[in-house]
Amino acid sequence: MDFTQELSKALQELKRITGITLDVSADTPEETEHALIQIRCLCTAYKQKYNKTDFLQGLMTGGIPSYDIHDRASRLHINADEKRVLFLLETKSTDNMAMEILRNLFPPQTKTYLVPVTDNTIAILRPLRQSKEADNIRSIARAVVDTLNTEALAHVHLSYSSTIKTLADLPEAFRETSLALKVGTLFYSEQTIFPYNELGIGRLIYQLPVTLCESFLKELFGEDIPDSFDEDTTTTINRFFQNSLNIAETSRQLHMHRNTLIYRLEQIQKRTGLDLRLFEDAMTFKIATMVINYLHAERNQ
Amino acid sequence: MASLSLEGIQKIYPNGFHAVKDFNLEIEDKEFIIFVGPSGCGKSTTLRMIAGLEDISGGTLKIDGKVMNDVEPKDRDIAMVFQNYALYPHMTVYDNMAFGLKLRKVPKAEIDQKVKDAARILDLEKLLDRKPKALSGGQRQRVAMGRAIVRNPKVFLMDEPLSNLDAKLRVQMRIEISKLHENLGATIIYVTHDQTEAMTLGTRIVVMKDGVVQQVDTPQNLYNTPCNLFVAGFIGSPQMNFLDAVCNVKGDDVTLTVGKHVLKVPASKKKALIEGGYDGKTVILGIRPEDVHDSEAFISNSPDSVIESTIKVYELLGAEVFLYFDVEGVQMTARVNPRTTLRTGDKAVFALDMEKIHVFDKETELTITN
Repeated sequence: MDFTQELSKALQELKRITGITLDVSADTPEETEHALIQIRCLCTAYKQKYNKTDFLQGLMTGGIPSYDIHDRASRLHINADEKRVLFLLETKSTDNMAMEILRNLFPPQTKTYLVPVTDNTIAILRPLRQSKEADNIRSIARAVVDTLNTEALAHVHLSYSSTIKTLADLPEAFRETSLALKVGTLFYSEQTIFPYNELGIGRLIYQLPVTLCESFLKELFGEDIPDSFDEDTTTTINRFFQNSLNIAETSRQLHMHRNTLIYRLEQIQKRTGLDLRLFEDAMTFKIATMVINYLHAERNQ
Repeated sequence: MASLSLEGIQKIYPNGFHAVKDFNLEIEDKEFIIFVGPSGCGKSTTLRMIAGLEDISGGTLKIDGKVMNDVEPKDRDIAMVFQNYALYPHMTVYDNMAFGLKLRKVPKAEIDQKVKDAARILDLEKLLDRKPKALSGGQRQRVAMGRAIVRNPKVFLMDEPLSNLDAKLRVQMRIEISKLHENLGATIIYVTHDQTEAMTLGTRIVVMKDGVVQQVDTPQNLYNTPCNLFVAGFIGSPQMNFLDAVCNVKGDDVTLTVGKHVLKVPASKKKALIEGGYDGKTVILGIRPEDVHDSEAFISNSPDSVIESTIKVYELLGAEVFLYFDVEGVQMTARVNPRTTLRTGDKAVFALDMEKIHVFDKETELTITN
């Protein structure tokens, strides 16, 4: 394999990030490969040491030891002990438009750091300088989502962490936002913003082991675990729950006779053993459907 | 500009939540359509489906006759204005308006022309060099509108764009948006939960509740002939008064009895009650506050529609007075002339304008007399 071209690219990258021009002469392909590895390592090491994005990426994923955080942060002129919140943005579009918009929404003066996590995920580390801002994290989130919707016409999901006081808490904040994004899109798919401290029962279910979920469903439904219900049944159940188990209101909204609704609920009872007119059974059923959704998502992954 | 067609549009989220149910609407070119309803009724979801920001679970969306269900949002030729707009803080007004076009690699000369045109329409020409922090709330909102206008889209989608403004500014911006619609001749779909905004801006209003369209009509028709109890209660401020009444048919005479008060139904309304078989049944009587009169002349001319009560609260609003009182345990409101002599604690006699009453089926909540 000829590594000459790769080596030339690596040297260009080294020049771009460090300003240093190196000339490498290698006689054999083995020597070229060795040089390539060395140059790439040099680039990575330089990025890790002097690049804010790489530093924050490493910090979020737990790749930087805690004793090193303050020192490296101060070398990069990042205030380590500042109150901040971490947002994690997921967008369907893979072009660079979202990043470009965010860069302009949070210019350098705001000391907000934008860290690409994957092709379609961006972390936003934003300082909360005034107490007013800390109270308005949701409105900052709303503004980010609305601006991306307006300017990029892109569908986005956004989660945010608890407030952190120091950069040492950033790995935990990243775990929080990642969890919030997963739990939010799975259990609260009608929403676009998922605060970590508002995940409700979804958080509980998501952290249960799959085996425990399976035995819960087995205990409830026996071997015949309902994989899904037909559309009419799903609509009936959801509307019944939305109306706080009120038969009259649900039948009115669904334009069906109350006896038809009662018949449908009885059919569900026959199939599942749960009488949705009773609060306890309705609650069990609601949790069971969330568990089923969760298992579906786990299997698809 | 463009026409839109929404046929049987549905939105069911993966978690089973049915947000929009069988939404049907034809929108003509240059119409100003308002989606109105309480929080969570599916109005924003419908707008987002039109924009392409939410997948459509069922039904067909057409813009200018072309099916758009699977077309990318950026290819739908729409522009959006949201409630939580954010201007780029370090950019001038000009750059804020131009930014979206720059991202799409539009030629500089074309951007310049479009920004200047939009600035002229929005009266922002003198502010093009200013930064957002030097602008008032209303001017910022106009810049947000400008960002949409420069795209010259087929359809404007606005999701509660005035909700973050104070009451005075909101009234001013309402007028601006109305003028904008006239100047641009644009097709606009506007979401709001504020019925005053809906009534003043829309050429037609779509009233939604629980993901279901309740009524689509002109503001005047919605106010005068609501199709059900929800629409009657939602449109109008203060809201329509509702009383349970028993319908009695005796020969050609129809009366509605509310406790001790017997109200005679006029000829224009009684046919529907007789033919609907409501004799002896309880119905819901609706009457708007302005159709409850306290003037002696009206009362003496309407002896068959008189109710008596004690004034609980007197509210003077300058050009009108709201009087609050109870009838059979239900609170009612009368909107009367400020010259009224009635005050809190007074025994009062009112007469209802029976030609203006609305009667609803108690079970289905649908209107009977309209």
